[in-house]
Amino acid sequence: MMRFALAGNPNSGKTTLFNGLTGSTAHVGNWPGVTVDKRDGLYKKCAEPISIIDLPGIYSLSPYTPEEVIARNYILDEKPDCVINIIDATNLERNLYLTTQIMEIDVPVVIALNMMDAVVKQGDAIDEKALEKKLGVPVVAISALKGEGLAELMERAYSTSKTPRLGKTVLEHGALAHLITDVKIALDGPGVENPLFHAVKLAEEDELEVNAHKDTVKMVEEFKKTFKDDTFGDDFEALIADARYKYISDNFSSVITKKNKEKFASTKSDKADKVLTHKIWGIPIFLVVLFAIFHLTFSEDFLYLGKIFGLPSLDDLGIDTEAFGGQLLACFYDGAVFSPGVIINNLWNNIIVEYAFGWLVNIIAESGMSVWAVGLLNDGIIEGLKAVLSFLPPILVLFLFFSILEDSGYMARIAFILDRMFRKFGLSGRAFLPMIMGFGCSVPAMINTRTLADDKERAATIRVIPFFSCGAKLPILTAVAGAIVAFFGVGNADLITYGMYLLGIVSAILAVLFMRNTSLKGETPPFIMELPAYHAPQFKNLMIHLWDKTKHFVKKAFTIIVASTIVIWVLSHFSFSWGFLEDEEINQSILAQISMLVQPIFTPLGFGSQLGEFGWVFVVAAISGLIAKENVIATFATLAACLAAVASLDISTLDITAEEGIDAVQAMIMATGIGIPGLIAFIAFNMTTIPCFAAVGTAKAELMNNKSYRGTLLFWIISSFIVAAAVYTIGSWWWTLFIWAAAVILTAWCVISYNKKAKEKLDNQKLG
Amino acid sequence: MKPVEIIIIVAAAAVVIGVIVAAIIRKKKGISSCDCGCDCAHCKGCGIKKPEEEKK
Repeated sequence: MMRFALAGNPNSGKTTLFNGLTGSTAHVGNWPGVTVDKRDGLYKKCAEPISIIDLPGIYSLSPYTPEEVIARNYILDEKPDCVINIIDATNLERNLYLTTQIMEIDVPVVIALNMMDAVVKQGDAIDEKALEKKLGVPVVAISALKGEGLAELMERAYSTSKTPRLGKTVLEHGALAHLITDVKIALDGPGVENPLFHAVKLAEEDELEVNAHKDTVKMVEEFKKTFKDDTFGDDFEALIADARYKYISDNFSSVITKKNKEKFASTKSDKADKVLTHKIWGIPIFLVVLFAIFHLTFSEDFLYLGKIFGLPSLDDLGIDTEAFGGQLLACFYDGAVFSPGVIINNLWNNIIVEYAFGWLVNIIAESGMSVWAVGLLNDGIIEGLKAVLSFLPPILVLFLFFSILEDSGYMARIAFILDRMFRKFGLSGRAFLPMIMGFGCSVPAMINTRTLADDKERAATIRVIPFFSCGAKLPILTAVAGAIVAFFGVGNADLITYGMYLLGIVSAILAVLFMRNTSLKGETPPFIMELPAYHAPQFKNLMIHLWDKTKHFVKKAFTIIVASTIVIWVLSHFSFSWGFLEDEEINQSILAQISMLVQPIFTPLGFGSQLGEFGWVFVVAAISGLIAKENVIATFATLAACLAAVASLDISTLDITAEEGIDAVQAMIMATGIGIPGLIAFIAFNMTTIPCFAAVGTAKAELMNNKSYRGTLLFWIISSFIVAAAVYTIGSWWWTLFIWAAAVILTAWCVISYNKKAKEKLDNQKLG
Repeated sequence: MKPVEIIIIVAAAAVVIGVIVAAIIRKKKGISSCDCGCDCAHCKGCGIKKPEEEKK
């Protein structure tokens, strides 16, 4: 089968083109570096099926980061039948830098001039014919976003791929032409493939080439002795880069007609950036945007209208909330207008989940099956599933907002804004982008750290990614925050959730600061990132993001979560002698007996021995979360029915909410007597402890070695205990804040003193 | 024990064993199960086991 590779600069639209050609739904983001590995799909509309390979975005074929190596190796070693070089037409000259390098390889090349619609919108024009003539390869104008020109692009790529092409360089008339020709001839002799490309890279003294062609390197070294450039000396890499840009500027400026002749005229994006990336206001604006997202998703008092105007509840208005009409109205309003996220959540839980599962529960209860069978199905599986599925709406609403931020181009700005702050802590702003991905899922976020060139920076980033609460942890946050508001009648669910997200970010910053000054010490690499233009989020992209999330969440609920609830139910209803236990005998179960042994360890965190005989449920929930974080709430829901029976809980006194998970946590609060500090510490522990199995496996694969992996596991355990203990003690006894502050200052002083002494010692050794 | 109860026991055991076996197969194949839904740009990189040369 024929294979066409898509190569181009980061954020030039390769994955959008890939999706358009193959009908795939690969993740597309409006920031550079979304794709870090190659992926393939099938294009079926040509004379024969063609395999399309989407390569990571690269600026050059000189490998500085892992994804650049992947792209370079694919084109050189896998020998695709054609390379489709995607160029961002709004930034033609910069994108042509990579084109000049791809053209040095002996492979058919077609240029896809993407985002031509944006060029036309700006009032500019590009002469495709002239560009094609100057480059000597076919050029096709396309809009990957709108699907325009794709058929023509593939037709031309298909016909081009039938004719072999020899590499061509723009350096043939430059100062190094003689050297490149000589090296090429030397490589031609032993039959090296792509001799021109390797000759240029050898002249650049590219590390991979130098190691691969040690004999020919001598020729470059000899030439170097006789060569001196006025500007760059004998820095051949800089000399070649300069030569390429000069050639591009001299030869291709004429194909562009700019409406605005001013070279640096402000665009709308530039004007927006003056505010959004402002040195002082940038971070506060980001925090406000983040709070607005949480308010729109979780607030039961939208814009605080209920509090401001003292709006009446439905009971005050004499509306029967038991009737269907009243129930429906209660999804939108009850003493306050609900936020869009809460409305969708109420509709889903009150109308769909409750009716669908309620019907099933009744059938099972009236089926005449044994007590254990009804218990397993209703209290175990269905309650666990209901509790997890009830959180699908807030997850989707939250991710819709995050997707809008990402697709609009604002996420890239946040990385830029935070670079100033992150730099002081030892990370570049680039590290923030995988962290942001961590809000979705830790696994792709950890893989995205491949865009970080420095191994130590990468390890530090991988370690703190789980602190950025992922979608699977959201049910824990929402359920516990909702239960705190419903049971204790304090705070707002949106504020608590927002606060916990901020706690995760602050913990990550402190942990990075500590690591980058101790075990993972190193220079902070410079951060250069092209800021993409702002654009309206694409409806299709948003829907793809949400569909992926829904599909996986539901799949996970009906596989891993169901299996876990079965195991939890069985272990909580059988003793070590394998005798079946009634709900009232739960403390004699295998689950309770084992958990009670571990329970004291969690005492400093507020959910250990101080909770009495049923406190072990928090231990079970935390441990089950290691399989998948959704399990925490599913475990609560599975055990809630038993605890209600054994602890003689009067559930009728509870403020029953729309969400099963919140009710399950309320039952746990009643059974154990846990307070607010313990509950917040429980969230903090789950946010910062060892993530799920999938994330742990990915960390192992991505980290440098086993030592680093073991260190990472230890880091997660220790940091979760410290963060949760700090939250619990400060929440219970406010004055312990000073003890924690003193401990932090003392640690910082020790680290600084040690580093200072180590530096002095090193300086002395150098002098000596 | 009623037939339906035997079916419940067998089905529950099948679900638990199925999930564990599927996880082992995925691990051996080098595929992870992250929240991306295995449709994102990173799936090829989701390997629990990564080839040494790629790691380098």
